[in-house]
Amino acid sequence: MTTDDHVVFIVDDDARIREALDELLASHGMRAIAFGSAGDYISANKPDVCACLILDVELPDINGLDLQRQIAEGDHPPIVFITGHGDIPSSVRAIKHGAVDFLTKPFSDADLMAAIQAAIVQDREKRSERAELGVLRQRYLELTPRERDVLPLVVSGLLNKQAAAELGISEVTLQIHRRNVMQKMMAASLADLVRMAERLEIPITHSRRTGGN
Amino acid sequence: MTTALNSLGEPDAEALRAALIIESVVGNAWATDAAGRFSYITPTTLSDLGTTLEELNTPSEDGSAGWKRLIHPDDYDRAVAVWRRCLETGEHYNVEHRMLRASGAYGWSRSSRQPLRDSAGRIVAWYGTVIDGDAPSGARERFADVISAALERKAAPDAPHSLSLVHPNDRTAAAHAAARAFWTGVPQVTRHRQLQTDGSYRWNETRSEPGYSVSVDIDDLVTDREALAKAGLDPLVENDAEPIRSAKVVESIFGNGWAFDAAGRWIYLHPFALNSLGVTLEDLNAPLRDGHTAWKRLLHPDDYEQIAATWRHCLTTGDHFNVEFRFRRANGVYVWARTSARPARDSQGRIIGWYGIALDNDVYKKTVAALRGRERELSQLVDMVPVQIRRLTPEGEPTFFNKRLLDFFGLDGVADLDKPAMSRLTAAIQSLVHPEDAARLLETVRHSLATGEPYSMKYRMRRADGAYRWVDGRGEPLRDHSGAIVQWYAISIDIDDEMRAQEALRDRERELSQLVDMVPSFLWRLSASGEPVFFSKRMVEFLGLDVGEYESAGGNGLTAAIAAVAHPDDAAKLEAALNHSIVTGESFSLNYRLRRADGVFRWMSGRAEPMRNEDGAVVQWYGLSHDIDDQVKAEEALRKSKRQLEQMIDAVPVNILSFAPSGRITYASKRYLDKVGSPPTHIEDFDALARDLAHPEDFPTMFRRASNGFATGEPFVNRFRRREKDGVYRWIEARAQPLRDADGAIVQWYMASIDIEDEMRAQEALRERERELQQLVDALPVHIWSWTPDGKLAYVNKRSLEDLGISGANFEDFTRVAQELIHPEDAPEVLHRSANCLKTGDSFIMRYRRRWKDGNYRWIEGRCEPLRDRDGTIVHWYQVSIDIDDEMRAQVALRERERSLWQLVETLPVMIDCAAPNGEPIYRSRQLREFLGYELESLDGKGKSRLSRTLDEGVHPDDLAGVKANYAHSLATGEPYARRHRLRRFDGAYCWVDTRAAPMRNAEGAIVQWNVVCLDIDGEVRAQEELRLAQERLARASQAASLAELSASIAHEVNQPLAAVVANSHACQRWLMAEPPNIDRAQKTVERIIRDANSAADVVSRIRALFKQSADAMAYTTLGSVVAEARDLIAEEAVRRRVRMDVDVEGDLPFVALDRVQIQQVLVNLIRNGMDAMDSVAGDRVLGLRVRRIGDAIQIEISDRGPGIELPDRIFEPFFTTKEHGMGMGLAICRSIVESHGGRLWAEKNEPRGATFVFTLPVEAKADHDDG
Repeated sequence: MTTDDHVVFIVDDDARIREALDELLASHGMRAIAFGSAGDYISANKPDVCACLILDVELPDINGLDLQRQIAEGDHPPIVFITGHGDIPSSVRAIKHGAVDFLTKPFSDADLMAAIQAAIVQDREKRSERAELGVLRQRYLELTPRERDVLPLVVSGLLNKQAAAELGISEVTLQIHRRNVMQKMMAASLADLVRMAERLEIPITHSRRTGGN
Repeated sequence: MTTALNSLGEPDAEALRAALIIESVVGNAWATDAAGRFSYITPTTLSDLGTTLEELNTPSEDGSAGWKRLIHPDDYDRAVAVWRRCLETGEHYNVEHRMLRASGAYGWSRSSRQPLRDSAGRIVAWYGTVIDGDAPSGARERFADVISAALERKAAPDAPHSLSLVHPNDRTAAAHAAARAFWTGVPQVTRHRQLQTDGSYRWNETRSEPGYSVSVDIDDLVTDREALAKAGLDPLVENDAEPIRSAKVVESIFGNGWAFDAAGRWIYLHPFALNSLGVTLEDLNAPLRDGHTAWKRLLHPDDYEQIAATWRHCLTTGDHFNVEFRFRRANGVYVWARTSARPARDSQGRIIGWYGIALDNDVYKKTVAALRGRERELSQLVDMVPVQIRRLTPEGEPTFFNKRLLDFFGLDGVADLDKPAMSRLTAAIQSLVHPEDAARLLETVRHSLATGEPYSMKYRMRRADGAYRWVDGRGEPLRDHSGAIVQWYAISIDIDDEMRAQEALRDRERELSQLVDMVPSFLWRLSASGEPVFFSKRMVEFLGLDVGEYESAGGNGLTAAIAAVAHPDDAAKLEAALNHSIVTGESFSLNYRLRRADGVFRWMSGRAEPMRNEDGAVVQWYGLSHDIDDQVKAEEALRKSKRQLEQMIDAVPVNILSFAPSGRITYASKRYLDKVGSPPTHIEDFDALARDLAHPEDFPTMFRRASNGFATGEPFVNRFRRREKDGVYRWIEARAQPLRDADGAIVQWYMASIDIEDEMRAQEALRERERELQQLVDALPVHIWSWTPDGKLAYVNKRSLEDLGISGANFEDFTRVAQELIHPEDAPEVLHRSANCLKTGDSFIMRYRRRWKDGNYRWIEGRCEPLRDRDGTIVHWYQVSIDIDDEMRAQVALRERERSLWQLVETLPVMIDCAAPNGEPIYRSRQLREFLGYELESLDGKGKSRLSRTLDEGVHPDDLAGVKANYAHSLATGEPYARRHRLRRFDGAYCWVDTRAAPMRNAEGAIVQWNVVCLDIDGEVRAQEELRLAQERLARASQAASLAELSASIAHEVNQPLAAVVANSHACQRWLMAEPPNIDRAQKTVERIIRDANSAADVVSRIRALFKQSADAMAYTTLGSVVAEARDLIAEEAVRRRVRMDVDVEGDLPFVALDRVQIQQVLVNLIRNGMDAMDSVAGDRVLGLRVRRIGDAIQIEISDRGPGIELPDRIFEPFFTTKEHGMGMGLAICRSIVESHGGRLWAEKNEPRGATFVFTLPVEAKADHDDG
């Protein structure tokens, strides 16, 4: 883990907490950027790297939980909540909405660092997953229209013959399309292709059983 | 000189010169040679005549003179005859003739000529002048006529102005001058000797004018110089210088000649002139000092300069000299003169001298003035005499009317009368005289004209205004010496008035004679001796006899007449009376009977008066007999009826008085005398009687009315109190009526009086009662109206009019009244019912609204009842309207209140029960009835009282005993009752009720009713039970909750620094554990740890202090510094939140004992609250912080402009919050802190918005601190 690899955002209205966290993260060799309010955080230019957001629940402008909800729509770093007087409903709500952890002040170094680590790993995964999906999408975009027709039928588990009939083409032609699809999508196997299709959220239009004859 | 003479050549040059001189003086002139041939005629005359000298000198073919055609044919022969004679004899020629003018018409002229003779007396030439005399001549003639006529009349006996008085030697000259003056119209002056009364002659200068001559005695001036004068009058002398000769020539015609040499020096002046001026030629020529000639002193100073200037001018130019001036005579008198001169020239035309003539025209000037005055005087005389004068020619033609006559006729002149084809006389008489008189007058005048007899006649002349007036006209002829009639003079005198008077007199006479015959009496006349001489026509007719027609049986006529006509019984008396009068001259008066022609005797009233002559002797007796037979008979009848009347009058029960028109009492009936008594003797007339008898109070009215009656003759009636015999006044009514004779003249006043005492008393009483009733009616506070049976308004009392603001005249029938005054909602019903009542005669009672004058409607109760007469017929309707508005309103209000109370009682969500004083229910409200499920009445008749049954059946058995006991106690003592118990509801369920009862007492304090309220409190009781339980739970829960909340709050406060401490500790640890350890960072981290840990410790200690209520931390400090710290703490936040802080700390605040941290916390808390409150405020956000001392405390106010506080009481409760995420502990802790300091904290609302939190800190805490 390098400093440049990731960054930790701190949002807390208490300057003492910001100072302390900044110091702590520095001692762990982590890069930290602190904000006094949600607004400051939102409006700031943030580096596009793996990140974690340490967010105080009680903020002067808006509640930390509300901020969580606000930014939920877009890509945002995983959130670690910290609070002076945490209550159960708040923590449940935070976790439900995807918070990595909900720490009550004073929290231990270990807890915080673990949460940060988890958050960064999560962010990194999320980022790589987002990148992988991008590749798949790019591959999918390279398919011909006929190949895009063929793909759902194949991943639905239809036999070649059935799929060809469905499309009104010969089985041989279908096989050619299928091979092209496999190649273009860089699928190692049919199972691999099926997983890709799921990732791309390509609807499975036919079931072999229902459409069987 | 000789040369000059020789140069004259032609002898007629002298005449020519004379002519020129004449011309310069008179106007035109001419000269002829000795044979009568014209040598000169003034050129203007020639041109006027339109002829030349040659033409005039050329004889006509028939041998007549060349100038024949210039002369009127009628005059020519005469003129030529005279001229020829003159040429032969050398006489002066003087002819008046008509002469042709340049215009072609003939005009009258006078021509006069004079011969010029040489030294030998031979006629060498003629010179003369022609004077136009047409218009002037005519006027002059008329004028002369009038004057001469007037003069002749005045001095008729005197001899005319005759030449006999003139000295025989001067006669010719004088006559000549007079004639010349007459003919030429130019005044002439002659000097002649006039015979004086003493037989001597004296020189006179006579100024002659036509018709006049004025002589001035100049004897003194002349006599001494007579010789000289004679010399001067010498005929022409051959050796005279030419100018002198010329002067002498001129002089021979007119007066004073004179001559100058060429240098203007005198060389000749007529000796007369020298004499009259009293100078010599040497004197005249002696130059004066200043260059003027001597004659300067002869001239009037006013004239000299001009004369001298003219003279000098003429000398220079040779122009003719002709001026008028005044000169001074030797006797010092200035007189007027005129002089004319012209130069004498030699053959070369050089002036060799001047000759001229001076005419003394002073007398002329003066006489003209005198004459004019005289003329005016005479003319006025003629015009002013009040006689109309006219003059007629011998033929009778009017030639002159005087002004009075002209004015009378409205004529301008006699010529106005001229009419064609008619003589002026005829025309005048026709147009000016009354047509009836014209012929007679004309005839008379003509007769006189023919015979020369004067005439005198009365006739009517027409005045200018057309009215004819009588005049007495007389005409007489004026004869000349020969007896020939020259003129007729006639006058007329206005006798119109006289004539009319005469006529009137004649008319009167005729009328009188008619009167005598017409008067319905007999007139007769007796001679002085008593002999009847005249009976009037009527008398004759009556008697059938005229004077003398009776048998005169001897004796005198009177006796015979009496015997013939008088009644035998009266004859002797009549004769005796008449004889007595005749003898004594006394008037006669007697009544007697005369026998009418038919034999009937009639009463006559005879009277006779003597007529006396100037000596007083009786000349005649005039008598009058008047037929009084009817009167006498009537009198008798009257006397009889009078007697009867008197009897009657005395019989009737009326008092009668009669008065003469003068007011004198003439009669009083017996009854009157009985009643009133005879008036005292001094009371003789109405006036006195009235004053005596009438009541003083009544007298003025009564007397005025009576006086008025007497004055106007109108009958009158008086009511007054009259004193009667017994001295008591009683009311009477006296009626007076005049008795008139046939002519309408009042003969007598009759006055009848009757006693009306009882009537008056009754009336008085009645009036009094009426007045009282009227007052009553008006005073009653009701409206009283009355109606006729057919619904017409007959009477409205005063109060109605006032209240309703109407006048009775406006409303005549009830329909109108209803429409106008009754409330529209009520009107139809009122109309309907009242109409019905009018029909049926039923009484009417109704309440309705009537409009008052202020426009408001008021309720009234109208009652209308008919008044019926004995037959039951309705005579009147009487209506009384009583104002019941207040009552109605009160009733309505009462009813409304009752209704609302009833509703209240019935709808109140309480059960109400009313009970008699003994507790028996008498009323139950709907709520109670419904609750119980039965009506009160259903309790009756079960042997138990209502109360007992209600209690027994309704009250829960567990409560019954208590309830009954309580009831009994209240009923016994009257104390209010209150109890909760269960009551059985209609469905059998028992409900908790709260029953309260209180007694209602009357004025005496006795209980009249018990009012019971029964509240269903079942829900309440149960809810209270539940609430109590809930509260217990809540108390427990809130205890827990507040603990949890408080700890959470505390935890937050503490955990913040703790979290920082922990984090820093880990960091520090890591810095120290790092390879190599980062000591600097660790050091810095440790410092933070210490700081934050202290911070946490502070919080903990403050919390502990809070809960310990400890004042340990109190320290004396000024509030100003604490406020400043708090402000600094919050300043950054304030800026960020855009809140302006307005801090106002009073100076010299005392020290206060306080916990700095706590008070800061309070301040920050309150400031932050204020900021929070203003978050949503759009406008300016101002947070006020004010610190001041009030009394014994310091007061700190933190005000904001937020929305304010909704629940000011609750905000200080723990855990109360208006903020979404607030804990609700801030204000609770703040209050706790402030109260621990001995102060108070509260909130107030700001106007217009926001809230202010105020807390106080006591000052006196200092003492405690000092002690501690």
